[in-house]
Amino acid sequence: MLRARRRTWAVLGLTGPAYLWLAVAIFLPLSAMLYFSFLTVAPFGGREATATLKHYQAFLDRDFYQVLTWRSLQLGLHVTFWCIVIGYPAALALARHVPGRWREALLLMVVLPFWSNALVRVFSWTMVLREGGLLDSAVRVIVPGMESLDLLFTYDAIVIGLVHSFLPYMILTCYVSLQAIDGALIEAARTLGASGWVIFRRIILPLSVPGLFAGVILTFVPVIGSFMEARILGGRAGTLLGTVIEDQFTVVFNWPRGAALSFILLAIVLLILAVAWPGLRRHLPQG
Amino acid sequence: MFRPRRDTGAALAGIWLALILGFLYLPIAVMVVMAFNESVLYELPFKPTTVWFERLAENERLLRASANSVGLALANTVIATALGTMAALAFARYTFRGKTLLRLLLFPPITIPWLIIGTAMLVMFFWIGIGRGLHAMLLGHVALSLPYVVVVVGARLASFGPSLEEAAATLGANPWQTFRRVTLPVLAPGVVAAALFAFAVSFDQFVISYFLAPPGVSTLPVEIYSAIRKGFTPEVNAISSIIIIISMGVVLLFARLYRFGGAPADGGGR
Amino acid sequence: MQPTTKLSRWVPVLAAGALAVCAGVVHATGELRVLNWQGYGTDEEWAVQIFEERTGFKVVHDNFNSEQEMLTKLRTSPGAYDVVLINSAYTCDAAREGLIQPVETNLISNFGDLSSNMRDSPTLNCDGKAHGVAWVWGVTSFAYNTEKLAERPDSIEILWDPAVAGRVGWRDDPVEAVSFAAIALGQDPNDPSDLDAVRDKLLALKTQIRTFWSSEDEWNKHLASDQFDVATYWSGSASRSKTAFGLPVEFVIPKEGAIGWLDGLSVATGAPNPDAAHMFIDFMVSPEFYVRWDTEVGAPASANAAANAQLPADAFNRTVLGDPETVTRLHFMAPLSDDRREQFLEIWEEVKTQLAQ
Repeated sequence: MLRARRRTWAVLGLTGPAYLWLAVAIFLPLSAMLYFSFLTVAPFGGREATATLKHYQAFLDRDFYQVLTWRSLQLGLHVTFWCIVIGYPAALALARHVPGRWREALLLMVVLPFWSNALVRVFSWTMVLREGGLLDSAVRVIVPGMESLDLLFTYDAIVIGLVHSFLPYMILTCYVSLQAIDGALIEAARTLGASGWVIFRRIILPLSVPGLFAGVILTFVPVIGSFMEARILGGRAGTLLGTVIEDQFTVVFNWPRGAALSFILLAIVLLILAVAWPGLRRHLPQG
Repeated sequence: MFRPRRDTGAALAGIWLALILGFLYLPIAVMVVMAFNESVLYELPFKPTTVWFERLAENERLLRASANSVGLALANTVIATALGTMAALAFARYTFRGKTLLRLLLFPPITIPWLIIGTAMLVMFFWIGIGRGLHAMLLGHVALSLPYVVVVVGARLASFGPSLEEAAATLGANPWQTFRRVTLPVLAPGVVAAALFAFAVSFDQFVISYFLAPPGVSTLPVEIYSAIRKGFTPEVNAISSIIIIISMGVVLLFARLYRFGGAPADGGGR
Repeated sequence: MQPTTKLSRWVPVLAAGALAVCAGVVHATGELRVLNWQGYGTDEEWAVQIFEERTGFKVVHDNFNSEQEMLTKLRTSPGAYDVVLINSAYTCDAAREGLIQPVETNLISNFGDLSSNMRDSPTLNCDGKAHGVAWVWGVTSFAYNTEKLAERPDSIEILWDPAVAGRVGWRDDPVEAVSFAAIALGQDPNDPSDLDAVRDKLLALKTQIRTFWSSEDEWNKHLASDQFDVATYWSGSASRSKTAFGLPVEFVIPKEGAIGWLDGLSVATGAPNPDAAHMFIDFMVSPEFYVRWDTEVGAPASANAAANAQLPADAFNRTVLGDPETVTRLHFMAPLSDDRREQFLEIWEEVKTQLAQ
């Protein structure tokens, strides 16, 4: 009995502070914002607020909100796709083909950009992508007489900037899963005559799904809420749901509208996760 | 672990990784180069100068924002690592009701876009009077870092199981002695990796800080965003170059002290 | 050698860092906090230096990118600012919301020298009390790169001209966007009669706009890196781009007309240092500050008649803006109702969505 009670206190003592913190920093604010999304105006500076559904109604009435939501989701899909296409082979190469000491050095090189500054990295891309910029000049050196390559202020520029920001996450999470695969398993398959492709498809890929899944979440979720990369790199193409939400909070002071749009975005994220959950559940590490 | 199968495979892997590193470091290289370029409007051709570093030394705003960023990241690292390690210990060493739910509750900071978390915190803190500022940012950064710490430390804990601790207990060590002398030393590489994560999460965090920054108080990312939107000089390149070089040094130092993520605790090499 | 001991040695260092952060921010007294556009006079280094030497107050700036953002900053940070620059079309809105306080005009020694039509403008005098001190006025129109366009355009239609398709810069601001379209369509920019036509006119920019700009600094960088040939702009900024940055820029007031505006300086409600705020405003409207600002850096036209008179005879602010014929072509910005502003915002959001696709 005493033991059980002591255990309860131990668990409470160990987990309590972390969850209290999460409650204050995440769950209470989300509840507050949900409440705000049903108000007519932000109730500050002597404004009278009453309950309303008009901000959710606005999303249904105005086509452009829906268009922007779709654009943001599309951007998330594109960026995640490219992160997988570029990052997964990189993680595989790191885990399978690079000898031990080099592996750690390279992995460090991959994650080091995290310790620099995302904003400056994004701004630096403007100098790479613009007409007459680094990329354009490089291409013209390789292929003289080619038409000038001007990617700045396009949708592609936003994708490039975001892939650059999130690629390290994808490489890291995939690498962690891949390097945990037992080498003996692969030796066994090879001894039994499995080809490289079969080994990849039947052993490596399924066992690395958790890492892939983690990478997808760590990329897709922040990207659909991104706004600063689009503003700096996107030019005319840089309007997204994220930029509109940012404006509601920092510029036009329509917090309830911003809150409602945020919750719609959140609902979509949760819906996607819920749909994907049953398929992913069996791949998640237990314990 | 895996032995290189064929030389071509290794060569392809090498080329692919080289390309990716090129991609990752291209803008960083540009950033550093432009810190030494004379034009205030970032015009080319390149004319070398160190004037931006000299001006940076007198730029109180950028320096104060940098100091805020470092202080905030350090505070975040301490708190998030402590709280997260405690929670990870509970998950790894106890079975209790509601454990699955608690684990699930770690996901929101990762599965909710920062934009939404940031604006929600703005709304609530402003509403109930916590206000904005470094304390509010700290609340947010720790919440964002916790899941990473729990996962990284948890993975380390899972790698050595409770048998060591049980052995210590059998030999008469009390729980605190066991923790201090057995668990913590084996856990240390995981804790250090988690701390590095927590530091990076906070140091590079822009979105949440942006919504929680009152006038006159900012972190480096916030200061740079408002600078990019409202007017800036290559001084931001200078400070960013200094920071990436310091970070490289610190990370490499830690990587030498503790192998990144830690070697298996059972001593088995790969 | 135990890793733990190394770790524990770090703990005090980290804890010290944590404490340093938690100590938070203490507003130093003797600070004057100014809210303004970046690079718009009040933050000129030499001016700040003069003011700091004379008064002992340290001048600290915060910036905004639109009038709406400025209002939101005042709303969410009461007591954080002393002096705020407000476009006179928004002054009474800010006063009604209680964001600014009446100005004690007897503390402004230069007040008597201000042109009476601006000083006494109803847009600055809300409920019979001066809430803003007329500072400078100017024009929102467009400027072009003189190295790229052979001929000086005289029509606002240049912004819709296929010759500059994909080479136009545009400010990301709902009110300004609607005003431009209204002027091009011959409507009143302060009260456009046919918003559907305005929307269509803005949608026609799809082939034209290369990028949006949100600050003068960004405008200069875009022009310097050859991102656009013609772009909407402000008269004072255009003269700064020419004078201070040496860019090949000419500002145009087209035959269809342009938007005129008057910027005033106000004292924020709850200003920590109201006396210093008044001193700062007085310095800003003085000929001493203005003449140096316009000749060395570039500025809009001063509301202080005495200051304008001291400019060189060939100054843009005397030759162009001093010409009564030009002034008749200006539509001065008037206050907008909340409904109207929301309408403009919605049109602009919708248009931007279309432009992005």
